[in-house]
Amino acid sequence: MALFTLQDISVAYNKQNILKDFNLEIEKGKLVSLLGPSGCGKTTTLRLIAGFLQANEGKFLFKEKDYTKVPVNKRNFGFVFQNYALFPHLSIFDNIAFGLRLRKNAKSEIEKKVMNVLEIVNLKGFEKRYPQELSGGQKQRVAIARALVIEPDILLFDEPLSNLDANLRVNMRVEIRRIQQELGITTVYVSHDQEECFSISDQVAIMNKGIIEQLSDPATIYKYPETKFVADFIGFKNFIDFDKRTDHDGKIELNKSGYSFVLHKDPQMSNSTGKIGAIRPDDLLIREKDNTGAVQENSLPGRVKVSTYLGRSYQYVVETPIGDFTVNKEMAESYRTGQEIILEIPKNQMVLVD
Amino acid sequence: MKKRYLYLLLLPGVLFLTIFMIIPILMTIGTTFFHEGGGFSIQGYLDFFQDRYFIEILLTTLRVSLFTTIICILLGFPAAYYISKLKQRKKAIMLLLTIFPLLTSPVVRSFSWMVIIGKNGVVNKLLMGMGLIEKPLDILYTPTAIIIGLVHLFLPLIIVTLVGVMENIETDLLKAAESLGASRLAVFSKVIIPLSVPGLVIGSILVFVGSFTAYTTPALLGGKQRVISTFLYQNAITLNEWQVASIVATIMIAVTVLIISIMNGLAKKLNPKG
Amino acid sequence: MQEKNRGLALFTFLVFLFLLGPLLIISVTSFEGGNILKFPPEEFSFRWYENIFNVDMFLVAFKTSILVSLGGNLLALLLGVPAAYALSRFDFKGKSVINAFFVSPILIPGIVLGFAFLRYIVGTYQLPIYAALFVGHTVIMLPFIIRVISSSLSNFDFSIEEAAESLGASKLGTFFTVVLPNIKSGILAAVMIAFLESFNNVDISVYMTGPGVSTFPIQMLTYVENYFDPTISAISVLLMFITAFFMFIVERLMGLSYFTKR
Repeated sequence: MALFTLQDISVAYNKQNILKDFNLEIEKGKLVSLLGPSGCGKTTTLRLIAGFLQANEGKFLFKEKDYTKVPVNKRNFGFVFQNYALFPHLSIFDNIAFGLRLRKNAKSEIEKKVMNVLEIVNLKGFEKRYPQELSGGQKQRVAIARALVIEPDILLFDEPLSNLDANLRVNMRVEIRRIQQELGITTVYVSHDQEECFSISDQVAIMNKGIIEQLSDPATIYKYPETKFVADFIGFKNFIDFDKRTDHDGKIELNKSGYSFVLHKDPQMSNSTGKIGAIRPDDLLIREKDNTGAVQENSLPGRVKVSTYLGRSYQYVVETPIGDFTVNKEMAESYRTGQEIILEIPKNQMVLVD
Repeated sequence: MKKRYLYLLLLPGVLFLTIFMIIPILMTIGTTFFHEGGGFSIQGYLDFFQDRYFIEILLTTLRVSLFTTIICILLGFPAAYYISKLKQRKKAIMLLLTIFPLLTSPVVRSFSWMVIIGKNGVVNKLLMGMGLIEKPLDILYTPTAIIIGLVHLFLPLIIVTLVGVMENIETDLLKAAESLGASRLAVFSKVIIPLSVPGLVIGSILVFVGSFTAYTTPALLGGKQRVISTFLYQNAITLNEWQVASIVATIMIAVTVLIISIMNGLAKKLNPKG
Repeated sequence: MQEKNRGLALFTFLVFLFLLGPLLIISVTSFEGGNILKFPPEEFSFRWYENIFNVDMFLVAFKTSILVSLGGNLLALLLGVPAAYALSRFDFKGKSVINAFFVSPILIPGIVLGFAFLRYIVGTYQLPIYAALFVGHTVIMLPFIIRVISSSLSNFDFSIEEAAESLGASKLGTFFTVVLPNIKSGILAAVMIAFLESFNNVDISVYMTGPGVSTFPIQMLTYVENYFDPTISAISVLLMFITAFFMFIVERLMGLSYFTKR
């Protein structure tokens, strides 16, 4: 049973659609992240859930009640901002107590709740300080504590880690996941960082141009992207737009400009009907051209066009009769620019997308 | 929804200014274009510009404003340059000393000059004491007195404006000019002056327009010497000539707007940053 | 080079002597013991300071000025704070026009503005002199209030408003609990700058005198026209103290940068 639902939502700004016929259901207790490039509508979706902006069309249902017109301050959702948005004139204690005071909690109650939440975010002893005296990571913990202490029905994160440095980002996302699971709080998390989203989410929604391209658990998305956009976004850099696809028992036959390829049929992607093959640079194989000249299965003749040293591996751009491919290869054997080679597509590494 | 808040927030201020400023000003301007019968007419202005007395006043005022502006630039520019090159703390003190007179009552400031340049004032006593003159000089209640008072009034303004602009001229730029073989004087004339032009223009507008419309200083230091602002006041209050006063007021607005728009256009053209 | 710098330093010194010397001279004359204002004074006394408090019209005018400046300030705040907030918070069509509109009272010559007020606010609108004085001063204070508060809102992080709302605060509640406390130094600076502007104003007030009504600077003008004794010097010293005190406060609140920005 979904805790809340966005139904046929449309949002337009300056006559430009940011979301169109947008639908999303989120279950209780789950951490769902919205991932996508800037301008894809992820932040708009989050702000819509929070109530900071109103949809032009559509409905927002929360626990099956119509929440579309409920103002922000009556929703009881916690929001964690990218720039923390702490109140500079209030101490850490007062920052966190802000929501509780509005809820007319008793003084002793407030004290207890604030201390408790400070312990959850590992900031005990900081209550008398002011926001300016804290580091970025500490500020974000306060922001999380401030959102948590009101016991929100939903917790919303807007790129909360983007202002922190790389090491701290990893620590904080572990922390966020821990707190979210401990409290079992339904959470929507917006980010443009793929690794961040995949590492903490129960489900990831990949967004593009105001729609959700795919909504699944991270492992499924990683392995079985459904659309070209998703595949591209998560690192399948090579695409082949096949002319013909023929499904057989256990395998799929594909043709492109006279070259044919065979794929093992993976039961996980049995319902895919796409004709675009996608494969990661790491999964392609290169070998030296042998003298026989015989074309083997799933192989293409090619020539190294560009070779880039990446540190642990080499990256090659290989020119073939059906287009350029990007290939990553351990540095042990290296190929010269201009060298003729054979490119092989392993039978079980390519996915077919729409 | 957002729109509604916006209007709600802006409306009180806009209404207030419209009722208590825009309408009175527009009415003042409007009435000058009608004669008593009610028809449109610019006769008032024609009469006006044929009146030698008024032309005299207008020219005196323009002359006084022009001199004030030139003297302010000549005194203010080098001083501003010196201040802009000072270290942070010293610069702050100098700026506070510059701003202090700016925020002091113009009555106080004009009055102080009455004490200095009056018949028995400091200057005359000093000069007579040294035997340089026999009779006290008549400075007070002349256009010269007005110019002195106005320079004193507006000099801080041009210094503050120029320091603001000069601070933004990067030291690296000056070093670069020197490294290319420019002498100090060349740096000053080829780099600092051109880059200060926008500030100079803005400062000059402020001083010229300010001098053209100033009331307190000419009222105290000018004696019987009228300038346009005291002429306006005299017509409005002493002579009860509201039609004449309205015409003078309109001319003052027109000159102010004209000067500001000319100088603005000039500033845009001269701005080396384009 | 050293030579030239020394020349420039001397020049600057003379410029400042010209700027501050006159103020110093009247300060000294305020301690004159005799009846006639002269420099340097011959005897030392505080009698002219006492005289300020013995001249009834000064006390009345001082009270009028304080009331008009404070009252006008309050009204200008009520009108200006919401406007400054709207202009900083929202982007909308015609924003620059509205901005220019609110600054326009500075561009119109004060002596013209005063005349228009006399003719229409006192004349046509039939407002009593006292009320007209109050309205006129509000008009000239409004641009300063809006400018200073806008500049303190310009680096205000409006996401803390959303934070407060998400925690349950209403729009109005958010303004009072989160926005206002964070711009209070800007507001205080605005009040002081506007107060000085209004308190020292001559151009508007000079038109608005009536039986028993006149502002302090106008009373000073009238006094100077009739008497030439050190009372005005003594008043000048007191006014300069007030100015210095206000400057000190504003400098503390906004930093020197406020004064150098134009």
